Amino acid sequence: MKPKVAFFDFAGCEGDQLQIANLEEDILALLGQVEVVSFREVMKEHSDNYDIAFIEGSCTRLQDEDRLRQIRKNAKIVVAIGSCATIGGINSLRNYKETDDVRKAVYGENAKLFDTYTARPIDAVIPVDAYVHGCPMTKEEFLSVVKSLLLGKKPDIPTYPVCVECKKNENVCAFERGQFCVGPVTRAGCDSCCVNEGTICWGCRGLIDNPNENSEKEVLIKNGLSVDDAITKFRLYFGWQERRK
Amino acid sequence: MRIIAKENFTEFINALINDDSLNVIGVKSKGEKFAFGPLDSAGELRLDYDVTLLPPKKYFFPQRETLVTYNIGTGFSAKDPAHTKQTVIVGVHPYDIVALLHMDEIFSETKSDPYYFEKRKSSVIIGVNMQKMSKWCFAPYMGADTIEYGYDLMLTDLGNRYAVAIGSQKGEQLLDKYAKGLTNALARDIQMVGQKKREVSAMCKQKLDFSPELIPEMLSRYYGESTFWENHSEKCLACGSCVLVCPTCYCFDVKDNPDLSLEHGERVRTWDGCLLEDFAKVASGENFRATRPTRYRHRYFKKGKYLFDRFGFISCVGCGRCGSNCLPDIANPVSLFNDMYREVQQSGLEVIAPQAPDINIQTEGNIDYVPRLATVIKKQPMTSFETLFEIKLDDGSVLGHDPGQFVEVSIFGVGEAPISISSPPTKKESFELCVRRLGNVTNKIHGLKVGDKVGIRGPFGHGFDPEALKGKDLLFVAGGLGLAPLRSLFNYVLDKRKDYGKVTLLYGCKEPKELLFADELVALGRRDDVDFKPTVDRCPESEVWSSNVGVITTLIPQIQFNPEKTYAIICGPPIMYKFVIADLKKRNVPDDHIIMSLERRMKCGVGKCGHCQINHIYVCKDGPVFNYAKIRGVPEAL
Amino acid sequence: MKHQNVNIDVHYVTRVEGHGNIFVNVKEGNIERCEWAIPEAPRFFEAMVVGRQYSELHHITSRICGICSIGHTLASLKATEAAMGIKISDQDLKLRKLALHGENLQSHILHLGFLVLPDLLGVGSVIPLASSNPAEVKTVLRLHRLANEMSNLICGRTTHPQRLIPGGFSKIPSMKELASLRQKLKDCIPDLLAVAGLIKTLAPKLPNFTRETEFIGLTAPDEYALYDGVLGSTDTGTAPVNDYLSYTNEYIVPISTAKRAKHARDSFMVGALARFNLNYDRLSPMAKKTAETFNFKPVCHNPFMNNIAQLVEVVHSVEDSIKLIDDLESADLKSQSEYKKPFSQIKAGRGVGAVEVPRGILYHDYTYNDKGTCTKANCIIPTNQNHANIELDMKALLPQILDKTNKEIELNLEMLVRAYDPCISCSTHYVKVYFV
Repeated sequence: MKPKVAFFDFAGCEGDQLQIANLEEDILALLGQVEVVSFREVMKEHSDNYDIAFIEGSCTRLQDEDRLRQIRKNAKIVVAIGSCATIGGINSLRNYKETDDVRKAVYGENAKLFDTYTARPIDAVIPVDAYVHGCPMTKEEFLSVVKSLLLGKKPDIPTYPVCVECKKNENVCAFERGQFCVGPVTRAGCDSCCVNEGTICWGCRGLIDNPNENSEKEVLIKNGLSVDDAITKFRLYFGWQERRK
Repeated sequence: MRIIAKENFTEFINALINDDSLNVIGVKSKGEKFAFGPLDSAGELRLDYDVTLLPPKKYFFPQRETLVTYNIGTGFSAKDPAHTKQTVIVGVHPYDIVALLHMDEIFSETKSDPYYFEKRKSSVIIGVNMQKMSKWCFAPYMGADTIEYGYDLMLTDLGNRYAVAIGSQKGEQLLDKYAKGLTNALARDIQMVGQKKREVSAMCKQKLDFSPELIPEMLSRYYGESTFWENHSEKCLACGSCVLVCPTCYCFDVKDNPDLSLEHGERVRTWDGCLLEDFAKVASGENFRATRPTRYRHRYFKKGKYLFDRFGFISCVGCGRCGSNCLPDIANPVSLFNDMYREVQQSGLEVIAPQAPDINIQTEGNIDYVPRLATVIKKQPMTSFETLFEIKLDDGSVLGHDPGQFVEVSIFGVGEAPISISSPPTKKESFELCVRRLGNVTNKIHGLKVGDKVGIRGPFGHGFDPEALKGKDLLFVAGGLGLAPLRSLFNYVLDKRKDYGKVTLLYGCKEPKELLFADELVALGRRDDVDFKPTVDRCPESEVWSSNVGVITTLIPQIQFNPEKTYAIICGPPIMYKFVIADLKKRNVPDDHIIMSLERRMKCGVGKCGHCQINHIYVCKDGPVFNYAKIRGVPEAL
Repeated sequence: MKHQNVNIDVHYVTRVEGHGNIFVNVKEGNIERCEWAIPEAPRFFEAMVVGRQYSELHHITSRICGICSIGHTLASLKATEAAMGIKISDQDLKLRKLALHGENLQSHILHLGFLVLPDLLGVGSVIPLASSNPAEVKTVLRLHRLANEMSNLICGRTTHPQRLIPGGFSKIPSMKELASLRQKLKDCIPDLLAVAGLIKTLAPKLPNFTRETEFIGLTAPDEYALYDGVLGSTDTGTAPVNDYLSYTNEYIVPISTAKRAKHARDSFMVGALARFNLNYDRLSPMAKKTAETFNFKPVCHNPFMNNIAQLVEVVHSVEDSIKLIDDLESADLKSQSEYKKPFSQIKAGRGVGAVEVPRGILYHDYTYNDKGTCTKANCIIPTNQNHANIELDMKALLPQILDKTNKEIELNLEMLVRAYDPCISCSTHYVKVYFV
């Protein structure tokens, strides 16, 4: 019996769901293992009878919470896909600004028409069984998590930082190039893809479980970043995780 | 020695590149740094480099390598290591050559790694003497700035030409086949080469304040200096950079990677590092090196002491990669050892160079990474967490284990777990494993039915020696799941009862419902040739218990034994050993009469991947059975 | 069968990106309510970038959309570069155009193959097509994969492309890699023609509906404008990009968390059809041929033909990409560092970047202080600009289809929305269709 799966999205860019479309021919192999009963972006049919729910996007409004709780009730396994769902993602950037200021800036006097609250990952509202980190998640990690769930084993998500993958990929360290990188405190699993493409790690997969944040900030400052800028850098993706500490 | 003009050398390299049967690797620029990579033309070669980002070890022990493939229908098979193209690596510095020689010894100790050696065999090393040196490099102090062997060819830049020292027949044949315009070196050339080599050490910007031969001894005095290690490791990011770029590091992890059909897949090994947080963590969640100072210290000890004791060399070639890659700048061995030396001097401690250790390296064949298929022939749940499995190898062979050894059990696509063998070697047709469901693999094992297949590797490890115990009184002390491995010896002793003296079994669990092998224990209680005493930490209202209540040490005063004649055999949760041993010592049991079985995170089973290491010992190879006299001084053991 | 009363509440229209609702209420033949409402969670990007550095803005705004990520990044970079007076090299310009072609290919093929084809074949999704029409599905997947390979090569990846940085590229492909891509593009043409052929047989299912509409997009004299151009309108002609505010006039409606826009009329349309209508004669030869097989000419006022316009653009993107790679080769591709950094000459200023993304013209408008910190931002998303037009189209279409069944009316309205290929979460919206 193939497990039934469903896809849902909240406040996000749908980039993670696009990665599923980007599986290309592997989509067919995936369909050989699971039955998709709901995937609004791609199909008309919908069913509330599913085993595994994949959720993309952050929870940014009180009204989203009910929808999340309903999904949790229906599903045996809930998987958060993409940074917005796993750690709050780029949405958490605005948590540092007063909610009202943000609304006014975008909607002017009509701001009061649109409700919003602190952007949060979905595990702030419901228990989550598995995470596929990244902005966007990678197809490889998504498939790895799916295979683990199908095999009944706990997905193997790294607890070490991106530096491990960066060194294996023989990159020239960002700091050696006069740039600033949060790889040393960011969870690996992306195969250091951004540094491989010639840039830096922005931290989209969230902080590792026991980051040495002071050391990382010291490294940033030692290399020329101001204290304020170092703090700002951490807010790009770590906004929710830092506040939780 | 020969001489080749630079234009002819360029042609030589291009000739190699044009030969499709060869894989030609050389040092190229990468950003502002350098790295070994495939050459498209001789023009890319940068022999004037200082150091590469990663050492050439990546060609022999790659970042990621498939060891085994599996197919649910047919089982496991080795990824054939034999079809490697001839690889020519151009531009290897002497320190990296020294490192490869270290790796050769490490990868052939006890059991040899066929994947590594196949690549070593099919490669040609063209070294080059250093023209530039990174400011972090301290190779001259480690005697690795120049080298007289270990290469097939060694180049020295003499301006408009290279001097080529020939190190092997392979090297000579390569020159004969692809190079033109070679002449013999003149006395002047040879003199110049000598001069260039002597000039290398003058490039060194690092300064070690003492002779490196003092390192092993200094380290062993400094093991317990917590403040020293805490201060030096405070900024550690646990990023693993220092070990991942190191030419002599070889720890690895092994994971299963099924394909989407779940019908087949591969088992892959990848680089791992002891500085990473979860390196020494086991399925129960216990982490045997949970703090930064303990992990940080371990790297220095492994390089400067443990490998020295085992192989006779300090496993550091002074390349400086670790120091240059450490963002908080705490990984430079020179800084650390200078600090240590200064403290030693100030405290007046006397440190001398150690004697050359007694080295006895044997190689008994290749490591077998490929599991054999076996079938579950019986499944007997014992408690809510533990189930006894009886397993038979499909090829009909006998496992042939010693009591106390373990096997690595594979579940297709999920992974491998080390499980102690619970049955005695006298039971030949099959063997028994008592499995506690804890992590991915053990949970899957619990889900198996009679008739299902597993993969078995092993038996591994240093087990009990029943012969040496003949005629002695045996005092077995088992805590919880610790009874499972002890049973392999215990039941052997029962099978050969008259060969042994008094036999006592003390067995403790948290609660009555956690007792393992309950039926056998009942039968044991009826025997008059065995003194069996069970205990539980507590007995809840709902359960019935009429024997001792209290931790296992409360049983020790209840038994009589002659310490001179008695051998204690202990196995249980980590916390138990300290207390049991203390009580036995109070009863004057000699250290070498105390034998125990320890557990760590065992992966490869053959003392290579590094995960089970406690100080200088590999639990999977030197243990899991240890004599207390030998392990008493090992701080991480108990 | 004339439906006197029709009530349609479509909550979260399926097979579109993002969430949007259709509300229809007809009593005795009188249309009381016909609304296109967006309830998607607002995401407030324009506020989030204030206070961040110029070197970060493209990374943040890329996250507005997962599908037109490359487009947002490029519009963002253009705005930043315009604000600080930075010019990119000719080589980087060509590479950016290739990036945009890759995005157009990926997005249009996804839309046509996954989102529209099911309607034309009468099924709920592409999933059953995997069994009933395996060859066609595989062809679509092959083309989609090629588009992604192209984006991966030029940009690093399709979604949130890392290689696009202020001033150019962090890393560029080698000529060898570009030549290999060029060969793959040439080799995909049979697949393209197969898809075009399939759509040709299904095209009669597209409703024959017109409503005179203003079309707005980028336009340029010598190329089919996607990356660069000036503002063009089928009603009013051209204007400089800096005048974009007068070409959008965003306003808020209470039923929508998305803003709407207007220009010469109450609404206008952007997207492939708008571009086709504005720039038809600059299409590549094969693209024009493809249009001809559908009897498709400018100026076409049938929004359903946006789908065909997308197909035509797919052919154009493939042909133009081949040409761009030829140009890069003949100009001798210059290598650069594989870790190039963003430009560092910062100054205070304001700049507008306009780019055609698959769904229409996109504007990013940034103001920076002399420290390179963003003090104000405005982003106008193409789908925002289409929302009013969608609603007016619905209002015009509805009376024409009132004699159909409830299900058919709903399907037609959904197909209308789908024809626009809306990217609603960009404008942060969510379509849901529920029957009341």
